[in-house]
Amino acid sequence: MAWYDDDSWVTKALGPNISTIIIVTLIAFALPLLVHSYLYRARTFATLPTFLLLGPSGAGKTSLLCLFDNGKPSETRISQTPLSATITLPSNATARSSKYRSENDPSMKKNRQFQLVDIPGHGKLRHFTLEHITKLQNLKGIIFLVDTADLSTGSGAQSDNGLLEAAEYLHDVLLVLQKRYTSAKTSKGPKEIPFLIAGNKQDLFTALPTPLVKAALEAEISKVRETKSKGLLDSGIGMGEDAVEEEREWLGDGGEGKFQFKQMEEVNVPIEVICGNVLGDGTNGVEKWWQWIGDQM
Amino acid sequence: MIDTFEILSTSGVVLWSKNYIPVGNNVVNSLIREVFIEEKVAPGTNAGEDSDTRKPSYKKEGYTLKWTAAKDLGLIFVAVYQSLVHLTWIDKLLDNVRALFTELYKDELKKPRTSAQMFPFDDYFDRQIHELEPHADATAPKIFEPTPSVDLTPPSSSGTDREGDEPPPMPGLRKAPQKPVYSDNTSTDATPVPTPDTSRPSSPAVSQLLTAKAGPAAKLSRRGRKKANISSAPVSSGDESPARLKAVKKGPTKKSMRRWDDNGMADEDDGTVLDYSAASLDDEAAGTPMEEVDHSTWGKRTGKGEFVLKDLDDEMDSILAAANSKKATSEQTGGIVGSSLGVIGGLFRNVVGGKTLTKEDIAKSMKGMEDHLLKKNVAREAAVRLCESVERELIGMKTASFTSVETTINSAMESALSKILTPATSLDLLRQIQSVTSPSALSLQKPRPYVISIVGVNGVGKSTNLSKLCFFLLQNKYRVLVAAADTFRSGAVEQLKVHVRNLRELSKREGGEVDIYEKGYGKDAANIAQDAVKHATENGFDVVLIDTAGRRHNDARLMSSLEKFAKLANPDKIFMVGEALVGTDSVQQARHFNAAFGAGRSLDGFIISKCDTVGDMVGTLVSMVHATGIPVVFLGTGQHYSDLRTLNVKWAVRLLMS
Ligand SMILES: Nc1nc2c(ncn2[C@@H]2O[C@H](COP(=O)(O)OP(=O)(O)OP(=O)(O)O)[C@@H](O)[C@H]2O)c(=O)[nH]1
Ligand SMILES: [Mg+2]
Repeated sequence: MAWYDDDSWVTKALGPNISTIIIVTLIAFALPLLVHSYLYRARTFATLPTFLLLGPSGAGKTSLLCLFDNGKPSETRISQTPLSATITLPSNATARSSKYRSENDPSMKKNRQFQLVDIPGHGKLRHFTLEHITKLQNLKGIIFLVDTADLSTGSGAQSDNGLLEAAEYLHDVLLVLQKRYTSAKTSKGPKEIPFLIAGNKQDLFTALPTPLVKAALEAEISKVRETKSKGLLDSGIGMGEDAVEEEREWLGDGGEGKFQFKQMEEVNVPIEVICGNVLGDGTNGVEKWWQWIGDQM
Repeated sequence: MIDTFEILSTSGVVLWSKNYIPVGNNVVNSLIREVFIEEKVAPGTNAGEDSDTRKPSYKKEGYTLKWTAAKDLGLIFVAVYQSLVHLTWIDKLLDNVRALFTELYKDELKKPRTSAQMFPFDDYFDRQIHELEPHADATAPKIFEPTPSVDLTPPSSSGTDREGDEPPPMPGLRKAPQKPVYSDNTSTDATPVPTPDTSRPSSPAVSQLLTAKAGPAAKLSRRGRKKANISSAPVSSGDESPARLKAVKKGPTKKSMRRWDDNGMADEDDGTVLDYSAASLDDEAAGTPMEEVDHSTWGKRTGKGEFVLKDLDDEMDSILAAANSKKATSEQTGGIVGSSLGVIGGLFRNVVGGKTLTKEDIAKSMKGMEDHLLKKNVAREAAVRLCESVERELIGMKTASFTSVETTINSAMESALSKILTPATSLDLLRQIQSVTSPSALSLQKPRPYVISIVGVNGVGKSTNLSKLCFFLLQNKYRVLVAAADTFRSGAVEQLKVHVRNLRELSKREGGEVDIYEKGYGKDAANIAQDAVKHATENGFDVVLIDTAGRRHNDARLMSSLEKFAKLANPDKIFMVGEALVGTDSVQQARHFNAAFGAGRSLDGFIISKCDTVGDMVGTLVSMVHATGIPVVFLGTGQHYSDLRTLNVKWAVRLLMS
């Protein structure tokens, strides 16, 4: 029996048989549905407002996330992978959008939920930061945690200089945010990303107070920016066709003078500095951070 | 005795821990930092199936740390104990705990874990410790040695207190199944571990000890056991080789004999029930009439406490046994049941994604990847390690939607490369020089010159790169002193003098200032360097650049003089210059130089010269960093003083993957 015979399956498949028609119809309708369900199964249905938790290693990011999630901190070690959790705002910190809602509105709870993503702070793992900033769907704000008890300007020769580390990381993050704005195609620019610099560990007596934290970081970022501008070109520039052509850009007003957090407002990144502490029973704890998050929602 | 046992998630939360003696958390932190993130200490390679090797260990501050991981769940199990004591049963403990923990809490572990509260694991752990910890230390090593011949020696025989009760091990059972009896079940981590003895060493002493503690865990454990039943029943009903079956069966039999001496005979007759591992944990479901009888008498006789205890006991045993048999069946099905349907499904998934990767799936592509890296002039050792780490990461993972295995491997390799090349800490040299030469008023430090010395093998371009660095510093208006500490090769000092003259010429307008410090030939380089630093301090120089004699890395005599050099000159930074052209030798070079400065001092960075001559074969970058965990700071990219670049990791990765 050859394939072109009358009763071969090829002939049947191409002939006007009722079975063939049924099969073809089934396939035609089922296939798109299957593909659709396959593609969308993995997606989370509704994207909650998302906040990123950044900062150098040991700042207390994971501790903070655990505290937000459980109401009490867990013990932590250095993180290697990002951790995200769905967190509900406590009732005393209200989301701005639902200020006028009744307490008993059933949609209240839903409205108070957000996603918090903790990014490991170790130098080698910072690539997660960039990925998340550029890819997150519903990014409502960034919280940059620093250890205020570790902002002393150390000897500098060794790399155990907490202030330098924090400032350099902060500089890089802010530069990414600025680039996002300057490279935007639309005239309106990308949407605002509120930025909270959260000074942690205020319970320790060596901790700097809020105004000093702000001043120290601004001064250090100015220095970082200055040396960056004087530094060598990197190998990505002008070496063969594979070069990563990225024009250099300076943070703030053209990279001149002193850097101030205010300058970031021009690129739609309003920055606030608020201090608190995850551990210990200090004066403010994390209340103000809750409030800040609530204000952004 | 172990000091601390911790179960952490890779995202940094301690999910469960047991502290016998508190250990500072910097100990575990430095394990994570140095081994997992910076990979300075290569983890022991025990990825083979037939691993007789021990678990990797890491030493810090007088502690030894051993660990194992459940990759797919993102868990790390760490045991910390004093390096002075020699504990041979840790590997086993880690394995058992991993199997238990992943099985007991497999539902909880799927959610984001931020709290330790959901894991009431204490009782299980205590019991494991009691079981495994040998009572007579002297006999312990013998028993737990992973040699097949002693495989089945019951560990309990080391417990002297109950020895009389123990029946002698049956000779038939001594023919050990040659494979590790149990390895991880839910975890597909690629580092299976030696499991010397039977899946569940029966413990003589624990039974009474645990009675009191087990109370609160009763409910939970019963639930957990049900789960275990469900998961293990179908597995154990699968076909198993007789040898393995016997091994599984042996444990429970022995135990029942121990517990009810009068029932002993009956229990032994039970041999007809082939699948004992499943039956023994069925005391609720009462799989056989025999069990039912047992169950009732037992309940009456022993009272509630004992009952619960037995419950916990059995539950643990069954989990471990299930872990075992699961492993066994999965090994078998691989060969036999590889049906055509499976193959087609596999092909489909390969295109569409969602395929769970096994070692076989990626083996071919990994080989290709390794060859590719070798072509890029990556030293074989480094290429193998990169491939292994990618493999470790991928096995057990699911490919994403519409990604093939190749794409998945490519992107995993890309991130492995950028991880290895990305420096752990800031490399902003100017910033560091600034903070030393003009320290802030707060830090109460006197300004002093910043000292950089350059080392390397002969002819790699030490002096040239030193001059480039000097040029860069001069452009930033620093006062630089170049010290000619190459007192060995004739012409070296003159060469530097020429460079300095050129640089002075070039930088006249810029405002920098450069001078040379030289004392001719033949003198001790370390002393010259020291004098140069002193001279610089007295004369207000900002930076001292010390050129050293080139030396072959396997020349022990010359290399040993580096230690004294590092001590006397005490450089802030020691950079090693390496050629981009050099091939496999790069790994050895980097290692030897890194070790040459004595304890507590190592290289601070590499300058890779002649990068313009190798095109996209920039593998040397990877080889050198692989060997030492020390970052590449600068690249030499040409003949001009200005041809010095910092490393752009993206660029390097793109070249390597092209
Ligand atoms: N005194 C004090 N210690 C804190 C506070 N917050 C966190 N810590 C401690 O800081 C250490 C580091 O906290 P982690 O949360 O692990 O730090 P991290 O930011 O997640 O660090 P990486 O994961 O490495 O990025 C822990 O030992 C915490 O106990 C605080 O408010 N006060
Ligand atoms: Mg963390």
